[in-house]
Amino acid sequence: MIAALGWLWRGAALGVLAFAIFGPLANLVLWAVALQWYYPHKLPLSFGLRYWREVFKPTSDAFVSLGTSIEIALITVLACLLLAVPAGYALGRRLLPGRAAILMLMLLPQAFPSVAVYINIARLFYRIGLNGTVAGVVLVHSVHGLVIAVWIAAAAFAAVDAELELAARNLGASAWRAALTVTLPLAAPGIMAAAIFVFLESLDEFTGTYFVGVPDITTLPLMMFTASIAGNYQIAAITALILLVPSIAFMLLIERFLNTETLAKIG
Amino acid sequence: MKRLGIVIATVAGLALGFPATAQNLSVVTAGDQNMVDYAKDYLGPLFEKDHPGVTVRAVGTGPGDAGSQKIYEKLEAEKNNASWDIDVAVIHQKAAGEMAAKGMLARYVPDVPTGKLVTSPAAKKALGADVDGYVIPMFNSQTVIAYNTDMVKDPPASYADLVAWADKHPKQFGYNGIKGGMSGVAFVVGWIYANAPDSERLINGPYDKSTEAAWNDAFAKLATFNKNVVLTPGNAGTLDMLSRGEIAMGPVWVDMFYTWQADGKIPPTIKLKLIGPGMPGQPMYYVVPAKAANAKLAADFIALATSPKVQADGIVKRFNWYPGIDAAAVKSQLDDATWQKLFVDVTPEDLASKGKPFPIAPYFNDILESYERKVQ
Amino acid sequence: MPERRLLALLLVAPALAVVLALFVYPLCYSLASAFTTRDGAPSFDNFAKAIELYTADIVFTLVITTVSTVLVAILSAAIGGYLVLGDHPFAVKLLKWLYRWPLFVPFIVAAQCMRTFLAKNGMLNNTLDTLGLVDLRNVSGLLDWRGIIVTFVWKETPFVALLVAGAMAALDRAGIEAARNLGARGLRILVEILVPQVAGVMIVGLVLAFVTMLSVLSVPIMISGGSPTMITVDMAFRVNSYSDYGTANALGFISYLIAGLGAWIYLRRNIAGAAQ
Repeated sequence: MIAALGWLWRGAALGVLAFAIFGPLANLVLWAVALQWYYPHKLPLSFGLRYWREVFKPTSDAFVSLGTSIEIALITVLACLLLAVPAGYALGRRLLPGRAAILMLMLLPQAFPSVAVYINIARLFYRIGLNGTVAGVVLVHSVHGLVIAVWIAAAAFAAVDAELELAARNLGASAWRAALTVTLPLAAPGIMAAAIFVFLESLDEFTGTYFVGVPDITTLPLMMFTASIAGNYQIAAITALILLVPSIAFMLLIERFLNTETLAKIG
Repeated sequence: MKRLGIVIATVAGLALGFPATAQNLSVVTAGDQNMVDYAKDYLGPLFEKDHPGVTVRAVGTGPGDAGSQKIYEKLEAEKNNASWDIDVAVIHQKAAGEMAAKGMLARYVPDVPTGKLVTSPAAKKALGADVDGYVIPMFNSQTVIAYNTDMVKDPPASYADLVAWADKHPKQFGYNGIKGGMSGVAFVVGWIYANAPDSERLINGPYDKSTEAAWNDAFAKLATFNKNVVLTPGNAGTLDMLSRGEIAMGPVWVDMFYTWQADGKIPPTIKLKLIGPGMPGQPMYYVVPAKAANAKLAADFIALATSPKVQADGIVKRFNWYPGIDAAAVKSQLDDATWQKLFVDVTPEDLASKGKPFPIAPYFNDILESYERKVQ
Repeated sequence: MPERRLLALLLVAPALAVVLALFVYPLCYSLASAFTTRDGAPSFDNFAKAIELYTADIVFTLVITTVSTVLVAILSAAIGGYLVLGDHPFAVKLLKWLYRWPLFVPFIVAAQCMRTFLAKNGMLNNTLDTLGLVDLRNVSGLLDWRGIIVTFVWKETPFVALLVAGAMAALDRAGIEAARNLGARGLRILVEILVPQVAGVMIVGLVLAFVTMLSVLSVPIMISGGSPTMITVDMAFRVNSYSDYGTANALGFISYLIAGLGAWIYLRRNIAGAAQ
């Protein structure tokens, strides 16, 4: 009897949690397939895929924004990796004194509320003509991307046994060769994780792009925002679902790798 | 590794952009999404048909004066460049006045055939600033109160009636304050016209800051009124909440309302009323920046956009705006039924007596700042 | 070896340069702009204006972020605690799978979900109405500062819960078993044994969450129509409508102060922990 009550309580609590988590997401899906929905109806009056056609026709804004978003995200990943892998190597291998200080400096962008910083970046970019360009948006995305990339890369390199590199050098390899052919491949999974984090972060980035990209660059989050403010909930919902796909896919992929030790190293 | 190299090269190539083989006409418009749609889906293809080799690139900067402000800022930042990258801009009155005063606009109107078709005072003065020769109105619009006939049996006829109604029906009226859309701004301006003395001076000047002490009472009343209302996220937010029954009344732009209704986003039970003593309306202007890269093409584009045929088909018929050029020139291009559609709830007499312009720029700014200080 | 150090410095330099140029420099610029007038003369005018116009919003920003952080702390401790102490493996597994989902929803998507979920006639009220718990005609929507809190808690709890659960799972079970043998029940074990031991990790997560909430623009713009709202919205409004960078940066400085509050708590905790 008590066991049954226990299950009732447990079930209710989990049910409320499930509703709290999946309710808003389900609402999004409903709006994505609704044609007409107004009060006092609790569910859409008519369903249809009309808005999907509108979003996916090749001339549509959504398609262009999707392309822009992916383009910017890929370039951001490239830029961040180019900068973070060497830095992560130096920091992970503890080659520098003041390592802690540098890592703290790298953490600065996460430590300060960034809206004011973005406002001023936009102003500075106006002066040098970088506002409203892909390069400008990539630079803005890279700042936060670098934080993630450097920290994860440092952790990934630190996790690689230094002995292996020393063994390679003992066998005659130069420092570069040892680093590139022994350490880098071993740190690769961590670096791949960093790349994916940076990609997702850039894809979903809104605030910086809002100040630096408008009006010429429209990324998918900006388009979603405009559609939502304009009351076009169907298009906003569909765009939101498009944004969710890479994130959820990554989550399902990473379920195996997201163990607590890695997170402890990051924290 | 090699495939990665190819991918990187392709992405880099795309990033650097295709070299411009066609001529690009850059049209940047402030305002809601319907403005961007108008340039992109209607005017753009029309112009490209007559001018092969030209691609029209239409971009929106967002609703309200903030959108026009972005255009102003962009051109201001480029002011020392040899040429500017905006060819045609569609902006609000406040920005137009500022830009004309600073010499940022080209005086293109005398060189354009449709320039003669605009005789309204709004084409010569923008909130008190002289813009004669620099602008042609794209359209004229008007704010009104939209109300749900199911929930409101006897709509208020004036601001005073509205206050009484909101008192009896709290949280049933909604507007967007002064952020996020001009419908809320228009409502506040209309409130000042109704509750502060000498609205004529606000509209025609001269500017005298000391007269603003008389506004305190009006703003105090507005602060009290705000306690009975819902604040919506913007122009579209008000329409959206109206359609979903979350509010029963709110200020809207006539054109936006009719477009939403035509799209099936607003149930037919919602109707319009222009309340007294008046609510503001405004034109938006076609301008050509002084150093536009394609100035001649830009003038041609505007000539097309302000031709009687396009004003009739595009502005009135498709997008439910009041025409920017003289009504007489446009009316002859339409059948009577289409023309009358514009005046179903708001008659020409209503417009003549209760349609007001916005105040002159310095008073306009002061009203907005006083709102922030005293009401928010 | 000096040349090795130089090489290491060269490896780190580009990344450092980017952070310096694109973050530290604009940050200093922001501080300078907050304390000068348009002509460059030093003054407190911007702050006077910011406080005159936006006091309510500043207070509400503090309230919203603090309440959200406290709620996140409670919920994440509860989730972490159940994952460690729960007796029914099926319920534990379900919870483990369930609570992570919002982590991968970007803020702007979460804001869009909540915009329609929390509306007056949104899914939340519709469901409660169907269950008979509220009456749709009298209920109000949550699309104001409370909706912002809901969205932040929804989004940040999984993040902190992940850290807390990980830390709790790494704890020595002997202490828990001992407490159990002495007759302590779940809640007591959680509060008196588990939480104090993971407090360090928890505070790190909470401070990060706190600062993130102060950086978000999409959520307050999309969820709360007017006042009171978070000062991030006011900053954007000042810049977009009036080009008033001075007041916007003054508000930015105030948000740094608020963030500093969180960091100060973290440092105090760390120093206290080191002193023990």
